[in-house]
Amino acid sequence: MNTFPLKISSPDGSFFDGNIIKISLRGAEGDLAVMAGHVQFVTSVKPCDFHLELEDGSVKRGHTDGGILTVSEKAVIFLTGSMQWL
Amino acid sequence: MGADTKQLRNRIKSVNSTLHLTKAMGLVASSKIRRAGDAMNKGREYADSVCKVVDLLTLCPECAKSPYMSKRETKKTRLIVIAGDRGLAGGYNVNVFRLVKNYPEAEIIPIGKRACERFAGECYYAETFKYSDAISMSRGLCEDFASGKYDSLGIVYTRYVSMMTQEAQIMWILPLERSKAKPTGILFEPDEATMLNTVIPEYVAGMLMAAVRESFASEVAARRCAMDSAGKNAQQMIDDLQLEYNRARQGAITQEITEIVAGSGG
Repeated sequence: MNTFPLKISSPDGSFFDGNIIKISLRGAEGDLAVMAGHVQFVTSVKPCDFHLELEDGSVKRGHTDGGILTVSEKAVIFLTGSMQWL
Repeated sequence: MGADTKQLRNRIKSVNSTLHLTKAMGLVASSKIRRAGDAMNKGREYADSVCKVVDLLTLCPECAKSPYMSKRETKKTRLIVIAGDRGLAGGYNVNVFRLVKNYPEAEIIPIGKRACERFAGECYYAETFKYSDAISMSRGLCEDFASGKYDSLGIVYTRYVSMMTQEAQIMWILPLERSKAKPTGILFEPDEATMLNTVIPEYVAGMLMAAVRESFASEVAARRCAMDSAGKNAQQMIDDLQLEYNRARQGAITQEITEIVAGSGG
């Protein structure tokens, strides 16, 4: 599977920095998932539980109080005010 | 002799205890510097990332009509003033307050115990200021700005230049400036204007958080420097007093011997 770099950044530091296969979360217009090669876009993220599919196929879950998801050619950056791993 | 040397001994003792105090405060500040520096870098990184998104948004023609970007005549200014929780940090607090004096008409929102004591307001401690405080404050500020209750928002904070240098500064947050970068064809979901309205509170909170953390790092660094030089001064004072004490003591002994010799001679 193709992977892409994801960075989860918050004022308390970086929560995640690595390659993943997929990230699923709740965007402004509903649930969405981002995989490698996704079109470049920016959306706001609503408070939700999200999950990441890691390179090795395992799934990591977390909860965010909302934030901004930026998908660019180089990397996907998820900016969140506060979050925790579940 | 007696009274003079006793007085000197007491003074040496009191300066010595001051030296202990400054040393202890310097050590506490040193131990906090690393943590404060780390927190500052994290806050800065987050603020920079949010800034990039906001910069992209300001380029969109749809956002130009937003109340957050419209330049109105500045009648009412709000300033978030970030000072320290404690004193004894050299000119740290004074420099911030001096800068605020240039805006006598501004409405002040204080952060840090010293600022709260000076300008009445809800008390937030700079050291324990959390993102949840920042976001609730920023939501209120953004609502008020959009409804025209004030026309510009600035943050007075202390920029951390290096361990030895920190300077009080003012950073204007609202209204937003149009970015000078070239427009990119990036998509915004649902649309630019909605996105801007959602992002603004996060942007203000991110900037505020970064400024509070930078100020705190500056405070700790300023305190360490101040305590260092206070410690040096105290040591110098002790050396001088010790010299004076030894002289007085020696003078007294010499005088006693002379008296004894004179007595036995007679």
